[in-house]
Amino acid sequence: MTLQTWLLFALVIFSIGLYAVLARRNLIAILIGIELMLNAANINFLAFNHFVTSDPAVGQIIVLFVIGLAAAEVSIALSIVLAVYRQRKAIDVQDLDELRG
Amino acid sequence: MISSFLVVSLTVAGATLAVLQRNMVRAIFGLAIALLGVALAFLELGSPFVAAMEVLIYIGGITVAMVFAIMLSAEGRVAVEASIWRRLVSAVLAAAFFAGVAYAITSSEFGKAPVVPDEVHKELWSVETLGRDLLDRFNVVFELLSIVLLVAILGAIAIATREKETSPEDSNP
Repeated sequence: MTLQTWLLFALVIFSIGLYAVLARRNLIAILIGIELMLNAANINFLAFNHFVTSDPAVGQIIVLFVIGLAAAEVSIALSIVLAVYRQRKAIDVQDLDELRG
Repeated sequence: MISSFLVVSLTVAGATLAVLQRNMVRAIFGLAIALLGVALAFLELGSPFVAAMEVLIYIGGITVAMVFAIMLSAEGRVAVEASIWRRLVSAVLAAAFFAGVAYAITSSEFGKAPVVPDEVHKELWSVETLGRDLLDRFNVVFELLSIVLLVAILGAIAIATREKETSPEDSNP
């Protein structure tokens, strides 16, 4: 596969994730969309490092950092989901329309 | 060629399942399949270490945590379908984004990037290089990331275990 094919492949994944973030109402489904988008970005980083960059391994390191940050993000997001569920008995974004706890 | 076809079909099929499935447990299963495809893509790009980390952290950690969150919130197990208009507008927006960026990619010079032989990456992308870089050139970012993870764990525990307390304004309005 050429660099162009990899970029188009990552774009397909990113668009699917974008659709999930826009269209779905379940908080965890939105989180799944965000994960897909992050993974598309990871594929791009690694593909560019594979084909273009002269610096060895820097793309791999960025991908490792992104994976680590995604783990932190998901742990926070899921704890917020649980807290919201305990208060509202729902994790539908349509019902969560006030800031008051 | 067969392996790249496998990578693309596995990832796209998993992502489609994750996005369209109403049963959230099945959606998370689709996400796991898509992430396995992404890990295979990393393998195809010549980085076995990052592929292993993807499987360990994403499939082994993140999707399992999501399954636990689903199991702890009974009402969220089957997602409420959004209205047809919202889904249509979202699909149009995502398709427009896809078309715009795909046009940008195909009209660029990226297709002319030479295909690099695998032997180059065996040497330059070895785990040894990666480890040296993490503890040498990117030392500060590495340590910063560990602090971010620690704070995230503490924050997650603090948010998830907080009891519903009644503030003074609530008790006597």
